[in-house]
Amino acid sequence: MRSLRTLLAAGVVALAGLATPLAAPQAQAADPIVVFAAVSLKGALDGAVALYEADGGAPVTVSYAGSSALAKQIESGAPADVFISADLDWMTYLAEKNLVRADTERRLLGNRIVLIAPNDGAKPVAIGPDFALTAALGDERLVLCDLAVPCGKYGKAALETLGVWGSVEGRIAFAENVRAALAFVSRGEAPYGIVYATDAAADPGVAVVGTFPEDSHPPIVYPVAVTADSKNPAAAAFVDFLATPKAGAVFEKAGFTMLGERPTTN
Amino acid sequence: MRLEVEVRHLQGGFRLDAAFASDAAVTALFGPSGSGKTTLVNILAGLIRPSEGRITLDGLALFDAARRIDVPVHKRGVGYVFQEARLFPHLSVRSNLGYGRRMAALAGRRGAADEFDRVVALLGISALLDRKPAGLSGGEAQRVAIGRALLARPRLLLMDEPLAALDTARKAEILPYLEQVAAETRVPIVYVSHSVPEVVRLAGTVVAMDHGRVVACGPADKVIGGLDATASDDAGAVLDAVVAGEEADGLTRLDTNAGPLLVPAVGRPTGARLRLLVRARDVLVASEHPQGLSALNVLPATVTVIGAPHGAAVEVTLAAGSATLHARLTRRAVETLALAAGRPCFAIVKASTLADESAPPPPWLTP
Amino acid sequence: MTLDLTPEETTAIWLTLRVALVAVAASLPVAILVAWVLARCRFPGIVLFDAIVHLPLTLPPVVTGFLLLLVFGRRAPVGAFLAEHFGLVFSFRWTGAALAAAVMGFPLFVRAIRLSIEAVDRRLEDAASTLGAPRALVALTVTLPLILPGILAGGVLAFARAMGEFGATVTFVSNIPGETQTIASAIYTYTQVPGGDGPALRLTLISVVLSLGALVLSELLARRTRRAIGQTRP
Repeated sequence: MRSLRTLLAAGVVALAGLATPLAAPQAQAADPIVVFAAVSLKGALDGAVALYEADGGAPVTVSYAGSSALAKQIESGAPADVFISADLDWMTYLAEKNLVRADTERRLLGNRIVLIAPNDGAKPVAIGPDFALTAALGDERLVLCDLAVPCGKYGKAALETLGVWGSVEGRIAFAENVRAALAFVSRGEAPYGIVYATDAAADPGVAVVGTFPEDSHPPIVYPVAVTADSKNPAAAAFVDFLATPKAGAVFEKAGFTMLGERPTTN
Repeated sequence: MRLEVEVRHLQGGFRLDAAFASDAAVTALFGPSGSGKTTLVNILAGLIRPSEGRITLDGLALFDAARRIDVPVHKRGVGYVFQEARLFPHLSVRSNLGYGRRMAALAGRRGAADEFDRVVALLGISALLDRKPAGLSGGEAQRVAIGRALLARPRLLLMDEPLAALDTARKAEILPYLEQVAAETRVPIVYVSHSVPEVVRLAGTVVAMDHGRVVACGPADKVIGGLDATASDDAGAVLDAVVAGEEADGLTRLDTNAGPLLVPAVGRPTGARLRLLVRARDVLVASEHPQGLSALNVLPATVTVIGAPHGAAVEVTLAAGSATLHARLTRRAVETLALAAGRPCFAIVKASTLADESAPPPPWLTP
Repeated sequence: MTLDLTPEETTAIWLTLRVALVAVAASLPVAILVAWVLARCRFPGIVLFDAIVHLPLTLPPVVTGFLLLLVFGRRAPVGAFLAEHFGLVFSFRWTGAALAAAVMGFPLFVRAIRLSIEAVDRRLEDAASTLGAPRALVALTVTLPLILPGILAGGVLAFARAMGEFGATVTFVSNIPGETQTIASAIYTYTQVPGGDGPALRLTLISVVLSLGALVLSELLARRTRRAIGQTRP
C-alpha cells in the first residue's frame, strides 16, 4: 500500500512537472529513489521509508521481489538506484559485474531462521545435532523455501550442519518464496516449515517452535548498495539513513538485528 | 383424421388469434408473409407454446390451456418439414432418414421393416443415401427432409413452405413427390404456402390467414375464388376439369364446370380429373361474342357481381356453366360495356395462361 | 547443447503430460456443462457466474493458487471432504498440480465450447425434437457432435495452458521433483541456480516442441472433424 501511494505521488509529481514547465528546478530535485528490495523486507522497510520521507528525504519507490529476480533485473538494466538483497551471494554477483558501487555497500541487517508450525498448540521442538525432525514429520512434508532463494539455502545449510538433511531431503516441499512457505504451514498443508524469524513474527497463523543455532548456517545478512547506474544523488543518503538508529528501531521491531557494518572488500 | 385448432398467442407486438378445423388430406395455411402461418405451425408442432387455446388431433389434445395439457414436441408425433431442409450436417443422408426411426424405436415403437425402402423409393432418393447433406442440391435436400419426417411415423405432417427456398425447376421436381406422399402415406398434411398455384394443386381445405387471423376457411375453390382479385395477381377461379381428348395440333380438350376449354397438352389420359386455376387477370369480358380474336376459349356467362372499385381496377364475378369465374377489369371497361349484375356476356380465357397453371390432378382426386 | 535428459528432467516431462492430460480430461464434463449454462440459460446472476468462471484468467496465478489452498487444502472445507469421502488428496500431490492446471485452463476451455454452442443452429435441435428426440438425446445426438470442433479447440488450449502452468501450481502444491515438479516448475528452478541456463533451455525447447505438437495435432483433428460433420471452413 505504502509503496503504491509513493508511486502515485511520484506520478502526480511527474504530471505536475509536465503541466508546469516553469516550476521545473524543484520538481526535478524530487526524483524518487527507486529501491529494489528482497521481499522479506516488506513491512519493515516500508516503515523505514515513511520515516525517511517524513524527515524531508526524497520520495522513495520500493519494488519488492526475490533477491535473484531483482539482481537479474538490475543486470539487464532495470532503473534501480538501491539494491537490498536477502543474502550476500546476489550482492556479490552484481559487485563482480561492477553493477553496484562498492563504496556504498554495507551489511545492513541480520536475521534468524526458525522452525514453524501451524498456530494451533504446536509443541516446541528442540533443535540440535541429529534432532528428530523426520519422526516429527511422520509421513508429511517439511516446507522449505526454494533452494534458489536465500531462505531455502540457509535452511538447507542448517539441516546439513545438524546432520538431518539426508533423512528429510525426500520429504521436502519447496515453496516459491517465504510468503508461500508461510501459507503452506498456516493453512495446515504441512506440519513444519523453515522461514525467517521476521516472517514468522509477521504471520499470526504460525507459531515458532524452535530457532536454529546461529552457527548452524552462514550468517543471514541483508547487504545494501547503490547501483552503478544510479543517477539519483539522494540514493547514498537513503542508504546511510537505513543504518541510523532511527531506522534501526523499525527493523528491530520487525525481528531483524542491526549490523550496520561496512564489509571488507574481498 | 380431424384437426381442430383454436389458439391465441401474443409474441412481441404480434397477436395471433386463429381457429379452424379440417379433415382434409391436405390443409393449406395460406396467406401473405407476416400473416402468422409459421407461428401457427410452430404452435402445432409444440415449438411455440400459445398463451391460450386448444389443439386436438382426432379428439386427442396436443395442447389444452384450460386442462393444462401441453404434449412436448418429441411426443406429439407431428412431423415437420421446414422451409430450409434442416438436415443434420454431421450425419449421412441414410442416418438423417433413420434419425426419427431410431427415436421411435427407443420409445418402443417400431415401423414396418420395408418402410425405409418404400419411402426412399417414393421420394427417389436411393442414390443419395451415402452422401452428406452438404453435397445435396436444394431439391434433393428437401426430398430427404420429407423422407426423414415421414420415417418418424408422424400422425400429422407439417410443411412450412417447403418449396419457398427452391427455384421454379426444383419446385416442379418436388411437387409430384408431395402429391405422392399425400396420396400414399395417408398422413394428413398441413401445408403452409403463400402460393396460390401450390395451394390449388395440393390442398383440400384452405385456411386463409391475414394479420394473425383466419379470414376464410373451406374448400380450395371457395377460398381461392373468394380472394380479392384487385389485390392479388394470383386470385381467380378454381375449376374442376375432366380431360375430354387430345386434338391433332397438340392441344388438350377439357370439360370443365364452366364449359369446354382448350389448353396446351397436360399429359393426362382422357377421363382424368384435374383442377385448374383461372386467374382473374387472365379473363377478359366481352358484351357480344367476339369475332376475329386469337383467344380460343370463349365461354357464355352472366355477370353476377360488380365489385367495389380499387383505384382503376374492378373485380367482376361471372357465372359460367355451373362455375364461378372472376375477371379483373378496369373501371372504364366496366362503364364502357355497361356491365351490371344479371347481364349476359362472354368470358375470354387465354389457353396459354391456362397451361401455366394446368396442374396434374391431385392423385387423391383421381378415381 | 545436447538432449541427454537427466532422470529428473524425464520425470518432469512425463509428469507434465500426465498432469495436463488429467486436467483436461477431468475438466471436460464440467467445462461442457458450464459452457452450456452460459450459452443457453438465462437467470439472474449469470453475469456474476460468468465473471467467476473467468476469474482464473484475470487473477494473478499465485492468488489462484492461494485460493485453491483455501478451498482444497487438506484442512480446507472441500479438501477435507474430498479426502475423507473419496480419498482424494491434493496437498503436495500430482493430483493437486492437475487441479491447479485444470482451474487455470478452465476459462479457455469453457470459452471455446461456449462459442461453439452459441454457433449451433438451434433450428437443427428443433428439427430433432419434431423427429421424436427427447431433450437429452437432442443434446447427445445433434448438439454434441456439432460442437466437437469447439471442444477439441478448447481442450487443446486448456492442455497448452496446463503444460505451462506454474504460478498457481507452485503456490498450491509446491515444486517437488517427481511429484509436483512439472516442466514449467523445473525450468523455474533451473533459472534460479547459477549454471542452470543449459537445462532450462533444454526443457524450454522440449516444452515448445510439445506445445507446437499439440497445437498441430489439434488443428489436424479439427479439420478432420469439421469435414466429418459437414462443415466447411469459411
